[in-house]
Amino acid sequence: MDKLLLLATNGLIWGLIIALIALGLAIIFGLLDIINLAHGDFFMIGTVIAWATLQQTGNFWLAFLAAPLIGCILGALIQRTVIQPIRNVAALSIVATFGLSLILQESVRITFGPTPRRILPPIQTTIPLFGVDYEVYRLFAAAVAIALLVAFFLFLHHTKLGTWMRAVRHDRDTAIAMGIPAQRVYVITFAFGFALAAVGGVVAAPITTVDFRGGVDILPFCFMAVIIGGLGNLPGTAAAAILLAFLEGIIQSVANPTVARIASLVLMSAVLLLRPQGLFKGLTR
Amino acid sequence: MTGAALTRAALIERALMIAFAAFLVAVPWIIPALINSFWVSVIAEILIWSLFAASVNLLFGYVGLLSFGQALYFGFGMYGVAIGIDMFGLSFWPAFGLGIVAAMAMALLTGVFAVRLTWHYFAIITVVFSLIFYFLALSNKWLTGGDDGINFSLPPTFSLAGKQWSFTDSTFQYFFILATVALCFWLMHRLMESPLGKAFLAIRDNDVRASLIGLNVYLLRLVAFVLAGFLAGVAGALFAFFGRYASASYMFYHVSGEAVVWAIVGGAGTLLGPIVGTSIFIVIREVVSTHWEHHSLIVGVMAIVVVMFAPKGIVGLWRGWLERLDERGEAAAGTVERKLRTEP
Repeated sequence: MDKLLLLATNGLIWGLIIALIALGLAIIFGLLDIINLAHGDFFMIGTVIAWATLQQTGNFWLAFLAAPLIGCILGALIQRTVIQPIRNVAALSIVATFGLSLILQESVRITFGPTPRRILPPIQTTIPLFGVDYEVYRLFAAAVAIALLVAFFLFLHHTKLGTWMRAVRHDRDTAIAMGIPAQRVYVITFAFGFALAAVGGVVAAPITTVDFRGGVDILPFCFMAVIIGGLGNLPGTAAAAILLAFLEGIIQSVANPTVARIASLVLMSAVLLLRPQGLFKGLTR
Repeated sequence: MTGAALTRAALIERALMIAFAAFLVAVPWIIPALINSFWVSVIAEILIWSLFAASVNLLFGYVGLLSFGQALYFGFGMYGVAIGIDMFGLSFWPAFGLGIVAAMAMALLTGVFAVRLTWHYFAIITVVFSLIFYFLALSNKWLTGGDDGINFSLPPTFSLAGKQWSFTDSTFQYFFILATVALCFWLMHRLMESPLGKAFLAIRDNDVRASLIGLNVYLLRLVAFVLAGFLAGVAGALFAFFGRYASASYMFYHVSGEAVVWAIVGGAGTLLGPIVGTSIFIVIREVVSTHWEHHSLIVGVMAIVVVMFAPKGIVGLWRGWLERLDERGEAAAGTVERKLRTEP
């Protein structure tokens, strides 16, 4: 029983972090209609920023400033140079972001090196939980992820920029006619998508390893969350990410991780075939 | 298009095709003389991967379905051969057949579900299916060998009157691969000339209209999916014979993704696009990787540059150039006339 609760908690925490990353993917997907194969690498860049910040300054917390900043700048740059010219053809975006993914991975391999590294949790204390000494940092990570998720939805619904983003997604032509600078909204959306994944990387860095291939495993998981949640349904995406990771955690308590992964993939095929609009269609709005 | 009215562009293309075919036949003699014999096997590998990219192209370029899971059928082709030889002790041809049948059966089984969806959903469900079997292959080591894979010893391809031909002879290996790949491309060419091929194009361009003129869109998509599974399966089976092994790592979605990139960079919806795209990327990989380990940086930049400046792929760029050449020629002759193009 303790083992089940422990794995379920781990799954839940991991799900909250994935929810952040998947939200970044979902806003890029929903607004720009781009299948972003480099999104896992945006997360990976975040973990590397956490590692580099710790090396340079000795202070892990500064990464929470550096990652969104660098993420926004890189995101805006990539949108302007790579995504903007091919925006009209969605199939090309797959090739372009695949190329981008290779470039990001290889650049990190050149600078950071090919060997995976670990970061010690910045909060070293543990508390007894379900019969083990549980790392307090994991609970802290969950709190940060929740805070960021809440902040993102507040931003989306209660600021001018957030309203613009929803407006352009809903009806681009009308939004432009109303004077919304759609071009700028695209750049900002892509930048925010990158930043969300990078912050997710910082939060996750002390829990996982820092590796130039770190995004490869994350990517299918994020896509699963986006699809199961329903394309363009942002709260659904976040909920699906949490649900998926939580379920995998529970299944892991009785079977090995590969079986758990297969189970969630089978679940996802069922959702795609039976409810292609997402699991939560009709619950919101 | 009758023989008498061949345009300048068609002549150039025909000449290039003949030169290309002649080059491929002459490879085992001229390549060792010009570079070294290692490159013969690189070209054989390019041929195999071109066939794999062609299976992506059949679905995306001709039917409008973007599959990100073709590696699954490639993997089944590989494992059909490897398990057939290693566990059942099959000889060459039955193992080859087993690989192809396994890939097609799998394509039928998954296709029944997958082709109910289109566009984003189709792309994602094909990835999901391929990931499911990738993880199954990883975890069932007794059958698949997992990441390490299965190594097997090659049975001879033909034995006739005490004489044997097998893949251990690298020239025989090259010609066997060339003949198989050429046969598949020829079949694909015939397919696209046939009424079935025209029906595929109709679905790609507008599936609603296609269904209104009485085409069974679901069934046609399923047929295309199984045919693409056939191409991927043949490629996988050939690759298993070529490498004498099979491994689960070839079923990962990155392998599917590379084929998508090769097909689109080469030119989706053209017969030879996949060959062009695959050749470029593998030649770069082979040339650069001996000098510089970070060759995927160049591959990434290439992929981006091509989609930015040649959105129809390299073959599309070339065709556009040829068409302009023709128009100029016709304008000079004063016979400007819009031709009906049946091939995209």
